Amino acid sequence: MSETESPTQTDGTDSTDSPHQTVAGETEERLREEWREYAFEDETKLAVEDLDVYYGDDHALKSVSMDIPEQSVTALIGPSGCGKSTFLRSLNRMNDRINSARIDGSVRLDGEEIYRDGADLVELRKRVGMVFQAPNPFPKSIRENVSYGPRKHGDINTGLLPRLLGRDDTEAETELVERSLRQAALYDEVSDRLEDNALGLSGGQQQRLCIARCLAVDPEVILMDEPASALDPIATSKIEDLIEELAEDYTVVVVTHNMQQAARISDQTAVFLTGGHLVEYDGTEKIFENPESQRVEDYVSGKFG
Amino acid sequence: MARATESTLVREDTSAYEAVAGLTVGLAAVLFFLALAALVDIVSLTDTVVGVPTLTLLGTLLVVMGVAVVGFGLLSYREVFPTQPRESAGLIAALLFGGIWFLLGALVGSETLGLGPLGGLVVGLVAGLGAGAVTAVPREDIGSTLPAGALALVFGFVFLLGVVGPEWSWSPANFPDDQQVTFFARSVAPFAVQGSALVVGWAAAKAYGGFGARGRHFGAYLLVYLNALAIIAVLVALVAFVVFKGFVPVTESVQFGLGVGPETTVALFGFSYTVVWPVYWPFLMNGASLFTDITGVFPAIVGTAWLVIGAVVLAVPLGVGAAVFLTEYAEQGGFTRVVEVATNALWSTPSIVFGLFGAAFLVPRFTPQPQKSLLAGMITLGFMLLPLVVITAREAMVAVPDEYRDASAALGVSRWQTIRSVVIPASMPGIVTGVILGVGRIAGETAPLLLTMGGGSFVPAGQRAKVLNGFQLSLSPPFVTNPELTQATTALPYQLYQVVLTGTGETAGVNDVLAFGWGTALVLLAVVLSFYAVGILTRQYFRSKLKYE
Repeated sequence: MSETESPTQTDGTDSTDSPHQTVAGETEERLREEWREYAFEDETKLAVEDLDVYYGDDHALKSVSMDIPEQSVTALIGPSGCGKSTFLRSLNRMNDRINSARIDGSVRLDGEEIYRDGADLVELRKRVGMVFQAPNPFPKSIRENVSYGPRKHGDINTGLLPRLLGRDDTEAETELVERSLRQAALYDEVSDRLEDNALGLSGGQQQRLCIARCLAVDPEVILMDEPASALDPIATSKIEDLIEELAEDYTVVVVTHNMQQAARISDQTAVFLTGGHLVEYDGTEKIFENPESQRVEDYVSGKFG
Repeated sequence: MARATESTLVREDTSAYEAVAGLTVGLAAVLFFLALAALVDIVSLTDTVVGVPTLTLLGTLLVVMGVAVVGFGLLSYREVFPTQPRESAGLIAALLFGGIWFLLGALVGSETLGLGPLGGLVVGLVAGLGAGAVTAVPREDIGSTLPAGALALVFGFVFLLGVVGPEWSWSPANFPDDQQVTFFARSVAPFAVQGSALVVGWAAAKAYGGFGARGRHFGAYLLVYLNALAIIAVLVALVAFVVFKGFVPVTESVQFGLGVGPETTVALFGFSYTVVWPVYWPFLMNGASLFTDITGVFPAIVGTAWLVIGAVVLAVPLGVGAAVFLTEYAEQGGFTRVVEVATNALWSTPSIVFGLFGAAFLVPRFTPQPQKSLLAGMITLGFMLLPLVVITAREAMVAVPDEYRDASAALGVSRWQTIRSVVIPASMPGIVTGVILGVGRIAGETAPLLLTMGGGSFVPAGQRAKVLNGFQLSLSPPFVTNPELTQATTALPYQLYQVVLTGTGETAGVNDVLAFGWGTALVLLAVVLSFYAVGILTRQYFRSKLKYE
């Protein structure tokens, strides 16, 4: 991962001596002081404090602190390589899967520290689900894809032995599959071919299947890493509608490249800029209409990035 | 080049020139396969083909094609037909033609003209340098046709004029007397014809494409295509040869009808059931016996089948397990690289080494007295199969996309469960491919069996390895015993070796030892191919589960 991109250009706005510094003489510390004053009405679901992530020698995320309120959509935006995906992946400890990654700081889910020793990764990832950039259904049937998580967690038992013991959960499975697919707005399209291989679906359908697969585990938080970037506009708008619906029951954190998308679907927006800094975090309207930082204004108005 | 040719984007009709060139290419292919047939004795050189003596026919065809190819070159050079030749046929063609003509010149000079070694060398050098110069210096249409056409003409006239007849042979004088080497017409002539057919066909294909880039494309295409066809032809010839030789002994006095066949009693753990086969196939159903007319290979088929099953049962779980550890758990680095190199080396270890290991390590371990046994053979072959299973399973698992592992981990599924329900199913087709390849090798292994398993190669049908019937239950440890596994038995390749080389067949009542050997070979081929078929069906099954049709 290359986290150090060429410095941003802000020509045409305020006078800047060096592109490396923050605009208009603001220091990073001052910026952080300013946006620390945000306040959201809802309960805090995820509280991140002073999170640093290193990949080997590369300092990918620099002392990020933010509180994510529950049952809302939080968008993370910023140019490529600014650390927003890294931030997202540290919320369910997927960064642990990268050998060279080292993480400092604290992330609390409902007040419980997820980085303390002895944290149960299985339980954490059941509660914090994730949808990836490229649709990645398993090469199995649609039904098996959706019921994969609960089956592996032992919540659903099917097969010969449970049937002999009278503990067969096939009906529960069917119900769960239908419910999850309906929640992901996919059921009507695939109800007649649940036993077909999921790789036969279109890209947008595959992505909604991945969302259904995530919902089947009954998570509280859903992390989405650019869920629509590999899809066409129609499939994208379906995913966006879905995200807004999901926010009624779940806490959704979504990384996106697309600023219009962030503006359309999110309740609050965090802007990461080059170098792994969280530059500003506030209500979406505020970020897009009247941001505190000049750099953020330049970025959201398309002057750089 | 000052010459401007009109080129058209679309060629609407084939000119007479192209038609003749195409015909020549086809003729070259026919000649190539005719020579291949002569090489494997399907067509005899001393006989006639369609009423013409074979060598005369080959010679005539060569002369016709030589004239045609030289004609294309000259006509193209005189610009009778529109072609786009380059300035030269190129260095590689020049070296190739130079080499061919050097050999030809040296042989003709020293042997046919009787000039001795030095004279031959001089003639060869003159011919080689001349041919190289003719190829490289003039324009492409001359350079790639004249040396090729001349080669065909020389060989054609050699056969036509009887310089090399069907009974011709040549023993080079410079070998010591006790190590004489003799070349016979029946092997030299077809080779010469094949070589000239390739060269002439290549030149004709170039002419067909009008030389230049298009011509080179056609020339290369012809060579590659003939090469592929020749490989298939050799394979088909090999299998056909075995079938041809083995068919008669294998199918001797086969009878169909209710009740003609032998009885089979299946007994497992004390229950038994008897069926009478509606077919009597002596070669497949008999063992060695003084009371039957035809000695068969039934015990050897059973032995080979059990060997393969035993080796697969032993090697697949171990190999897949090792591959899982190496790809999913072990830190990728020095250790895994060493293991990889070691597995590759193990796979290329000669089978006799495995056999010797089995004889020294396994044979003395299962019985009070050292005794070759089916179990020792199974384990030895299992060890041989193991490295290939590890290699292919590892490759298949590395090829499983990391996205699947990520997706599974993000759902909170543990690593082992991810391996079991995602990684292994996705790599099953690759694993099965490895097992197929390995079974093809171990089923035909003879050397390890000589040392670890082979008993008497001619066993009565009643004394075959009855592994299924051999299981016995008991109330004391080890609860299940099977004396059949510790008995020496026979297998198809082992029996083939014995019957052809050691003459054990004659004492066992085999009338025609060679025919029996060919029959055994055919059965071995069939057994290996049926294992192969089972493997391919299994792979197809696993593939169909992974793909969307």
